[in-house]
Amino acid sequence: MTRPVIISHEMDATWRYASGVAMERFANNLLERRIEAMQCGECKRRYLPPRPFCGNCRVPLTDWAPVASEGVLEAWTVVYLPIVDNRTGITRDGPYAMGLIRLDGADTTLNHYVAETDPACLKVGQRVKAVWREELRGAIDDILHFEVLE
Amino acid sequence: MRRAAIIGTGQTHHASKRDDVSQPELVREASARALLDAGIDAAAINAVVISSMELFEGRALPELWLGEAAYAAGKPCMKVATGGTSGTSACIAGYHQVASGMFDLVLVVGYEKHSEGNTQAGMAIVDPYWDRAVASGALGNFALSISQYMADTGVTEEQAARVAVKARRNAARNPYAHLQMADITVEKVLESRMLAHPIHMLDMCPQSDGACAIVIAAEKTANKFCDRPAWIEGAATRHQQPYIGDIERRLTTMETLRSAAKEVYAKAGISDPRRDLDVAEIYEPVTYAELAWYEALGFCGQGDAGRLIEEGVTEMDGELPVNPSGGVLSSNPVGASGVIRVAEAASQVLGRAGEHQVDGATTALATGYGVYAWADALVLRAMS
Repeated sequence: MTRPVIISHEMDATWRYASGVAMERFANNLLERRIEAMQCGECKRRYLPPRPFCGNCRVPLTDWAPVASEGVLEAWTVVYLPIVDNRTGITRDGPYAMGLIRLDGADTTLNHYVAETDPACLKVGQRVKAVWREELRGAIDDILHFEVLE
Repeated sequence: MRRAAIIGTGQTHHASKRDDVSQPELVREASARALLDAGIDAAAINAVVISSMELFEGRALPELWLGEAAYAAGKPCMKVATGGTSGTSACIAGYHQVASGMFDLVLVVGYEKHSEGNTQAGMAIVDPYWDRAVASGALGNFALSISQYMADTGVTEEQAARVAVKARRNAARNPYAHLQMADITVEKVLESRMLAHPIHMLDMCPQSDGACAIVIAAEKTANKFCDRPAWIEGAATRHQQPYIGDIERRLTTMETLRSAAKEVYAKAGISDPRRDLDVAEIYEPVTYAELAWYEALGFCGQGDAGRLIEEGVTEMDGELPVNPSGGVLSSNPVGASGVIRVAEAASQVLGRAGEHQVDGATTALATGYGVYAWADALVLRAMS
């Protein structure tokens, strides 16, 4: 077989997105360490991420409902495989823990990081609490991670 | 609506790296084999449907670059993309084109060349306001749902490992499979590296290069070219809400798959799937998913999947063999994986599955699974 010819290209790409009305209010709330969900007038389900329509009832939403920064750990894992951080493109080493958290007042669960990385200390049904960053920027990663409550 | 059948299938040898061919050459390999298997000329094909996850290869407009390789030049050609379900959705789209009366012969081809792109980068370009900051890719998302499924059903790591053993042993009899491990054991699975609790390396599907194609024909054409066509008795596809947190206990509930299965079972007159199906090719990217799908598909009661795998019901010599090909756990070129499920189910019904043929298989189920909750289901049957 002939020797392979390798031609390399590198590319930097940048995107810019409109948040939409629901995420705009959500982002501004985060700057004040406040979380709000949007609630369906028909099925009463409270949605995080907030969106101005209910997919199940197929109706527009206008109501906002307060949500606590504490809740229940509904699912968890500890990841050991290094994985690309979607925000930076930089590989993140394990172990790190992830959870699905149902914040008090919300019906959907929020996927986020969990501080505890010992599988023996993590259980479905545990209470957890948000730990906020010092410097807020109006994004969901203004919550650094969740910590397990005693 | 007209009757339609699969009259030929073709796939490539799947591997971690197919440097010997370009993407179009890979697609041609599978397409040519499908035409050969069906016994038809490329000129007879009326339309082509392509399936892939284009961001994985970093090559935009794959239907443009690959259409001619799939014999689509001068013909209707489109791409179908629904995440992991892409392949089964493309097959269903092709079925709709034939059943509607629009076309007599449709070629469906799915492919993926993971080795050429950056799968993690493809997965990273998700919802910018939410998932980019807090999503953990297919692996982490599965692991999260598995923790709930284990809490709900009491399924164990050993039971999941048995799925890995079954898949890779079956794959050892499939010349096209990527991971062929005749000597795999439950112990080896449990000793393999922990990727994300509780998923071990051998619980997870590989990333493969590969392609797969099928030929779908309308009734008259099918009977002309094939003495035992695999008739499509039912085909259903289901979408769901966009975020992982929208779906309540998704592995345990898997409403989309339950709903799609219910529809195709009704159309095909299947009241007891374990009794009425001869074989199933289901889309299981991780061992625990196969167990959850047993329940969603009605192969056993809720919470009984661990026992079903232990009793050997879904082994090659069991009452209902599941994934004789080795499944997604053994070969996973994502855009092709759904087409492979349908092609393998069809091959079983056509009696052309070779070393992994289930004797006398007449009725087969194929399913697809995509991001969080998308699901497809098809029932294929030979007329006796």
